Parts: sequence; C-alpha cells; structure tokens
Amino acid sequence: MSLLSDVLVILLNGLQQGAIYVLLAVGLSIIVGTLKFVNFAHGALYLVGTYAGLFVALNVPLSNGKLAEWGFSSFGLDIGFFAALIFVPLFVFGVGLLMERYLARAFYDRPDTDQILVTFGLAIVVQELFRVLFGSNSLPFEQPERILSFGSFAGLPVSGPIALPIVGNFPQWRLWVIGITAVLVALVYLLVEYTDFGLVVRAGTRDAEMVRLLGIKITRPYIVVFGIGAALAGVAGVVGGPLNVVNPTIGTNILVPAFLTVVIGGVGSIAGAVLGGIVFGLTTAALVSFAPAWSQVGLYAIAAIVLLTRPQGLLGDEEVTP
Amino acid sequence: MSEKDANPSAKDALVGGTLFGRWEKLRGREGTVVGITAILVAVFPYLFARAPVVSGFLQGYQSLATLILIWGIFAIGFDLLLGYTGLLSFGHAAFWGGAAYAAGIVAKNVSGDPIVMVVSGTLFAVLLAWVLGFLSLRRGGIYFSILTLAFAQMFYYMAASPLAFLTNGENGLTGVEVGSFLGVIHLEADVPSIGGMLLGTWLYAFVGVFFVGAVAVAYRILNSPYGMVFRAIRENEQRAEFVGLNVWRYKLMAFIISGGFAGVAGSLFTIHGAYVPLQSLFWTESGDIVVMTVLGGAGSMFGPVLGVGLYLYIENIVSTIQALTIPFTGIVLVRDFGFYWHLLLGVVFVVVVWVVPDGLWGILNRLRELAVDLGSKAAKRLRARSENGGGGQ
Amino acid sequence: MARDNKSLNRRDVLKATGAVGTAGLAGLAGCTGGGGDDSGGGGGGGGDDEYPALGNFPIEGDTATFGFNVPQSGPYASEGEDELRAYQLAVKHLNEGGGWVDSQFDDLSGDGVLGYTIDHVDGDTATDADQARQSASGMIQRDDAIMISGGSSSAVAIAVQGLCQNEKVMFMCCLTHSNDTTGKDCVRYSFREMFNAYMTGQALAPVVRDAYGEDLQFYQLYADYSWGQTQQASMEQFMTDVAGWEQIESVATPLGTSDYSTYLSEAQSSGADVLILNHYGLDGANSMQQAIDAGIDEDMEILVPLYNRPMAEAAGGAIEGIYGTVAWDSQIDNTPSQEFTQAFRDEYDRTPSGPAQLAYAQTLQYAAAVERAGTFYPPEVIRQLEDYEYDNIGMGAETMRGCDHQAQRDVPVVQGLPASEQSEGTYFNIVNITSRDDLGYACDAGPAAECELGSYE
Repeated sequence: MSLLSDVLVILLNGLQQGAIYVLLAVGLSIIVGTLKFVNFAHGALYLVGTYAGLFVALNVPLSNGKLAEWGFSSFGLDIGFFAALIFVPLFVFGVGLLMERYLARAFYDRPDTDQILVTFGLAIVVQELFRVLFGSNSLPFEQPERILSFGSFAGLPVSGPIALPIVGNFPQWRLWVIGITAVLVALVYLLVEYTDFGLVVRAGTRDAEMVRLLGIKITRPYIVVFGIGAALAGVAGVVGGPLNVVNPTIGTNILVPAFLTVVIGGVGSIAGAVLGGIVFGLTTAALVSFAPAWSQVGLYAIAAIVLLTRPQGLLGDEEVTP
Repeated sequence: MSEKDANPSAKDALVGGTLFGRWEKLRGREGTVVGITAILVAVFPYLFARAPVVSGFLQGYQSLATLILIWGIFAIGFDLLLGYTGLLSFGHAAFWGGAAYAAGIVAKNVSGDPIVMVVSGTLFAVLLAWVLGFLSLRRGGIYFSILTLAFAQMFYYMAASPLAFLTNGENGLTGVEVGSFLGVIHLEADVPSIGGMLLGTWLYAFVGVFFVGAVAVAYRILNSPYGMVFRAIRENEQRAEFVGLNVWRYKLMAFIISGGFAGVAGSLFTIHGAYVPLQSLFWTESGDIVVMTVLGGAGSMFGPVLGVGLYLYIENIVSTIQALTIPFTGIVLVRDFGFYWHLLLGVVFVVVVWVVPDGLWGILNRLRELAVDLGSKAAKRLRARSENGGGGQ
Repeated sequence: MARDNKSLNRRDVLKATGAVGTAGLAGLAGCTGGGGDDSGGGGGGGGDDEYPALGNFPIEGDTATFGFNVPQSGPYASEGEDELRAYQLAVKHLNEGGGWVDSQFDDLSGDGVLGYTIDHVDGDTATDADQARQSASGMIQRDDAIMISGGSSSAVAIAVQGLCQNEKVMFMCCLTHSNDTTGKDCVRYSFREMFNAYMTGQALAPVVRDAYGEDLQFYQLYADYSWGQTQQASMEQFMTDVAGWEQIESVATPLGTSDYSTYLSEAQSSGADVLILNHYGLDGANSMQQAIDAGIDEDMEILVPLYNRPMAEAAGGAIEGIYGTVAWDSQIDNTPSQEFTQAFRDEYDRTPSGPAQLAYAQTLQYAAAVERAGTFYPPEVIRQLEDYEYDNIGMGAETMRGCDHQAQRDVPVVQGLPASEQSEGTYFNIVNITSRDDLGYACDAGPAAECELGSYE
C-alpha cells in the first residue's frame, strides 16, 4: 500500500481512538481544573454511560449475574441509538450532580490523596455493583444500523464498512465517533469561552478565592461543571461502547489512559485535552503500525517523557496545578 | 508505634502505678515493640491454622499465614511513604513485581539460595526505586501518583511481551527452584518439635525473621531524625523547606526505603510460591497495597499490617463462604455471600477514607484511649474518695 | 447460580460440633508432605497401609475431597459457572450413580470411590494465576483436597499444576489449550484431556483447504503471550504444509488490546485472502467484531482457531460462518455425548458447554483411575492414567499418553452460526470431527520434545 494511504489510515485510526479519550479527558480536565477535584471514578461514569446506552438502545439477553437470577432474562428498552445519545448524557449528568453534592463537596478541602482514595474506592464499588447485577461476562453492544429513522425516513446508515478514496474500506461507525466528538467538544468549548457561566468557570480555575470574594456564588456553576464533565463521560460510554465488547472492567481500564491524556494535555485546558487525546491516539496507531510489541510500552514512555520535560502538560498553564 | 502513642507523660503520671500506665511506658521502647512482634509472629500461625476451635473458626491455613507476613512487610514499607511522608504512589507494583522477577530469574540462572534471592531482589528494587523516584518526585500531588502509575505500567507491558524471553510472559515465571537455607534447611519442611507446632514450616520462620526485622528497621527509622523530617514533610512541605531542609532529598529517601521494603517482600513472595505471576506487576497490585494500607490505617506502624491481614483474609477465606449464617445456627443471612466480597470491601474502603482516615488501627486506638480515660477517671475517683475518707477522720 | 451447599454444610457442621480441631490437625499432617510418617489416623480401606504419606494421602476419615478451582469472577465467569455445574454433577453421580457412572465407566460403582464418599470445595481463580494459586493452596492445605481440577486460561492451569506438583496433589486440567501445558511446563501430577494449539492447526488445515481452496495467502494477528505465539506458529506450519497456503505476515498484538482497528487496517491492505485471528476470550470477541465492522469479511475469509462460549456470546452474530475448533459440543452425535447432554439438561435445564464436558470427564477419569489403582496414593493413580486407553467420553478412541500426559483424541471443527440461529448453548455448527489419526505428534517431536514430567513422589 502506498505511503499516503498508510499515513491516512494511521490518521483516521488515531483520531478515532483518541476521540474517546478526548471526551473523557475534557470532562476530567474541567473538573480537576475548576473544582480542584481529582476524580478517579471518572471511568465509572463511562461504565455507567455504556450500560445505560446499552439499556436504552438495545435489548440484550442476560445469562449471568443477579438480575438474570432474579428472573430478568433480558435487559433494555430497545428504543434506538439516537434516543440513547439524548437520554444517557442527561442521566449521567444527574449522576454527576449527585456525586458533586454528596461526595465531592465533602472532599474539596481535603488533600488530593484523600480525593484520589475515595474516588478510587467508589470506582471499585461501582464496578463490583455492575458485576453483581449483570455478571462479569461481556455483553455485545451492536453498532446501530441507522440513526434518526423516523416514520418514512429510513435514517442515516452508520454501521458497516464504507469505501473511502485512497484508504479503502473503513468502519463507518468510527467516522461517526470522530464527528460526534468534534461537535460535543466544540459545544463545551463555546460554553466555557463565550457564556457568563463559562466566565465564572474560567475565573474559578484561575483563582477561586478571588471569585468568591467578588461576591459571585460559585456553588451553582461548580455543580454544573461536575454535571457536564460526567455527561461527557456518559456520551463517551454510549459512543465508545459499540467499538468494544461491554463488561464491568471497561471503566477501570479506560481510566488510566484518560488520566494520562489530561496530564499530557495540561490540566484545566480544553484545547490541551483535545491535543492530548489526539497525540495519544496517533501515537498508539503509529506504534502499532511500526513496532507492535512496543506499542503499550511506548505509550507510557511518551507520557512519562512529556510529564518530565513539560510538567504543566503540552498546553497547560503553569499556574493551574491541582 | 504511631506517633500518637507517645502520649504526654502527664497521663502516665496520673495513672501512676496502674497496669495501663506501665503498659503505655513499655510500648514505647524499641526492644519491647520488637519483642512483642516476635511473640505475635511466633504464635500467629498456630492460632490461625492449627489451634483447636480457634483455627477451626477462623478457617486459616499455613500458607496464608506466610502470605500475610509477606504482604505485611510490603505494607509497612508502603506506609513509610504514604502514611508518614504523605506521598501516594500508584506504582509500587514495579518494586514488588520487579523484585519478585529479579529473585526468580536469579534463582533460575545463578543460585537458588534464599538469601541470595532476597538480596538480589531487594537490590534490584532499591535501584529501580532510586531511578523512578528520581524521575517521579520532580512533580508532586496527583502528578506524582500518575507518573508512578505510568512507569509501573511500562514495566508491566515490558515484562508481558518484549522481555518475555526473561519473564516467560503471561504464563508467569515457572520452574523457579528455591534451594535450601544455608545448604541444610529445606524451607518447605516443618520446624521440628514445639517450633513446628507454633510456626509450621521453616519458610514461615524465614519470612517471620524478615518481618520482625522490617518492624525493627521501620521503628528505628520513624524514631530517628529522618522519621521526624518525613512527618514534617507530610504536615507542611513548605514549612519544612523554609526550615532549610532539602525536602526533595528526604522524599527520595522515603521512596527508596519503601521500594526496598517492597523488594524484600517481593523476593519473599517468589520464595513462597516458587513462581512469579505477571499480575504482580499490574497496576491493580499497586491498588491493592493502597487499599490494604489505608484500610488498616496509614500513618501507624501496625495499622497497615492489620489491613493486610483483613484484606487477604476476606479475599481468600471469606470469599469462599457460600452463605453467611449466624454462627452456630442454620439461619442464613446472605446467600451467595462470597459473591459480594469485593463489593463489600469497596464499600468498607470508601467509608474508612471518608469517616476514619486513620483506618481500623485508628478506631482501635480510640477505643484504647477511651478505656485508658475511663480507667484513669476511675482511679482518680478512687483516690479522691480515699483521700476524702482520710481527711474525715 | 446453582451452587451446591454440601461443602458448606460440612463446614458448618464441623464448626458447630467443634470437631474442627481434628480437621485442623489433619491439615497439618497434609501439608507436611514427606515430613513425618503419621499414616496412623483413621486411614481405613483401600490398602493405604502399603504406601507412605504423600501430599494429602492418606485421607483421614471416610470422605475424599476434590477441589474445583474455576473462574467465578472476571471475564471467564460464565465459562467457570458451567464448569462448576459439571463438576457438581460428576460428584453427584460418583456418590449416587447416574450419567456416565452407570453407562460408560465400568470402574465406577456409583457409591463413592473406594468406599469413600466424595465431597468437594470450590474456589475462584478470577482468571488470575496468582489468585488461582492462592485458592488452590487453600484447598490443599485447609480442605485436604486429594485432587484439584480447573483451568480456563492456560496461564492459570500452568501456575496451578506447578503448585500441585510441589504439593504432590493431582491436578486434572479442564480448559487449557496452550502447547506449554503439556509441553515445556508439563508436570507429572497433571493430565490434560483438552487438545492444544498444535492440534488445532492440524485439525483446521484440511477443512479450510477444502472449503477455500489451495494457493491462498494468509495474514495472522496473534495475542502476544505464550498461547498466542504457539497458536500462530502452529497455524503457520500447518496452513503452509497441509493447506498449501502462503503466509504474508504475522503480527503480534499486546494481550488485552481493546482496539484492533489499526492492526486490521494493515491486514486489510495486505492483499491476503485469509485473516487468522489468534485471539481468545475477550480479545477474540473484540478483534472479530471489529473485523466484521471494518468489512474485512467482504474481502477476506476469517479464521478463529479456538472458540469458547463467552467469546461467542460477546461477539454475537459476528461469528457467522467463521471456522474454528471447540473443546466439545452438545451436537456431537454419539452415545456418551448424548447421555451427558441429557444428564446435564435434566439437572440444570441448560445445554452444557465444551468445558463442562471436560470438567465432567476429567473428574470421572480421575475417580476411575483411583478405583483401578485400588488406592488414592497419587503415584499409583498417575501410573493408572498414563497410557490409558478409553473410548467413553464422546470424543472417539483416545489415549492419555504417558510421555507428556496429553490426550490423543479427535478435534471438532465448527463454523459460527448467524445471530438468528443462535440460542442459549448453541452457537456453532459442527463441520467436521478431525480424527486423531490425522493429528498429534510423537513423544520426541512438537511440544512434547520439551516436556520433562518430573518425579512421581
């Protein structure tokens, strides 16, 4: 195959793999940046999003776990993928609000270490809860055939391969993943950069104390930031779910790369999270092509190198350290 | 013991000649601490695995007793870093697993002498801790945690595939032959006579000696100027810096020391199992030691050991209980109890972090203080009454 | 989950009566191994006096305990649950008769083994070698298990069989497919009924040659650990020698990779006709699903050397038409297979999986060997199993070879069913049962050349 198509394939695959990290990292990053709260349970929100997406979009047979034992032979509303894209973020947004109110708030004034520990514990609890309920085996999350089909309109086909110029066959859904991510990230960016809400958030990131002194009630924007971060993790779960099989460990597995993305990009910076995710995705895709045995090692090595040479992250602000 | 135990001597004076007071004084001395540890280590396997009724109730067994001590050494070292210096490493699997592999590879290629294995494993871990500490400690807070995690994962993936010719990859390092101690004593064999009844195998005795040694060394460190500095760093790093201390150097030292403890434990783990699983390098292993240490009580000498015991006990014994019944009756409280053990552990962990950051040991300590308080109050009241009585005559 | 309460009841009873003290002491005697000669106790029948104490022999009391070490949590939990059902069924049949005990195993009476009642304990390996070893040592030291069985994941089987060799307790492998289990990591105390990666290559090659033709080019992806490596080496050898195909490239993927898109793109643009995915379990489900999503099945034929049920469940309809091998399948048409399927259905109202048949067969196989040996003394039981010939577990005539403890047996080749034809327990269509005459290797060749079994005592 030609060099051009090689490069294009690496680019597409890299963007696509990076996209999920970007969604997680943006959420994680605005939470850490604004609230100074280190959330090791962010992967658990992804897990919740994936299972919720599965529940809304499809109807999957259950053969293991307590739900199956209690007589639920299948699980799901089966009302389509588009519905999942709408409802799941709302639901996970709500979960995020609850988490901020009843967990995070109690830990804002405690050391990082305590925040990491309590959210790490929470992540274990959520994962085990899902294992108990749904069993630890994997469930198939089939890619939607079409989305947006209403009445006579057949909808847009989104699954299966699509023939691209130069590259050849490429899984269509992965292009959609890139597109959906781009739109969502742009929305969050606009929200933070061009609204009053965003102004408070950005100011809070700089100097929370000063904002409070100026008489701005900061609790409400804070809780919303947490909710948005969570909702992004939820969307990531819905969009990323059909790329892999679904089981209770996906949350913990994705946590480590998501965190590395944030730290590489720079804490508190949306652009940084996007860049971090893309760097991460492209590096993986390139290493896989050229030195597969070293692809995982190389990933962590690169993360370590970035952190050591540019501790504030690629686009991070020196001032903003949690 | 923990710094909190060095109670003001005023209380001692108050309690005076009571048993509690004498006990309090005794507890502080190194010789006593080590002595009591040695006695506990000696009777533990008997009570756990062999004593009538008690062991039957506990359902313990010899190799679990050994394993608890091994992880105990790991936890004591980890706590020097987390509990006393305030640094949360999510990469200690690199030292534990690295040492385990080093010891195993040395045994396969050079010598299976247990001492040689421990020395080489520990040496490897210390060197590795030096390098990783040097790099990771350039950043604090969550960056430190994540850097250690990234480095440790790197080693995991290296052992999994590029270095599989050394490590045997996913299958784990098999065919490790552990030689006899000093060329005479087979570690698998039983200790003769009464020693056998108490300790069980020579392996346990071997590990036990290291455990007692670890306690002694940790105690010595914590009560030395070094230990003071560690605590100062945890309390307020900036202030420590202002006083003119080279904080970074002390942190590195704490990191290397805890890596060394992990190395001793990892090497012993290889001797114990004659096998090294690849999972020993995975980040969940780092997570386990964090959970154990915090559960038991970070920042105390014996809390983490308590946490280790509890965790391994739940993991290996409670998890095999199919149904939780009220003891000595047939009434089933929870069916499929073993199924939930990990969930329960997670819940307990969250509660501990949230409500009692000093862990189970902290709870025990508070109970003890309560008892001492009540005791001294009672003593005071008694004394007051007798004095009153005397004055009346 | 249908867990047997027997083991638990036993413990509770012991606990309540305080008789546990003796159990504790027996544990001591057990783990001392060759240390002392306390063959006194209540040893009883079976010619125990003739043999010295070894491992957990002699058995105290009149109950012999088997330890079943299966994944009950982690990605293979559903496989482990099915294995456990089969083990419990085997124990039930050993004690009360039924199933193959009545019809296929003449050595077995259906009234315990050598007059001992069979009891069992079960443990969770979590598909983790370390956890599996801890669980197994608990069974050996605390519960005095005389035999351990289990598996699922070769790393687990290899780790546990090594432990069993040290402890002198027998291990009957359940699902483990790596060449190493009876190759370079083989041990005297372990026996494997399951075929290995090498034999899978041999079994698949003629079938796919007939299906797809000769002179094809193939591209391999393999999970980068011992099973994947041996599997890809076998496939390369037999697809080249037997099918007459040509390998273009073989690429390692790190174990636990969840995104194969870049690997698959490379494979797709290589111009090969066949893609061989040497992945198992979750890796297999992921790579297969992603290959289908990328439309690779439109340009290339896909092969998956080894299937299991969790993989089929997770991949859903993606397995349609894809060739592979399985341990055993309930649709195999012979008397023992039908009898087992029926017995399993009667008990649990489910269709047994391949590993379930392995679990059931291995337990009875061990018990029958004990009966023939007339003792539980492990070296004698091992000698009974070595070079034993049998034809009673539904896979045709078999030999448990003495030189590497690898069963020489037929291998079922299957094709995945489309999602619409799949149902609980039925995921494949049997294409061929490749005869053992076309499979295997001599004791000084293939994986067996690297095997050193170790000592009997």
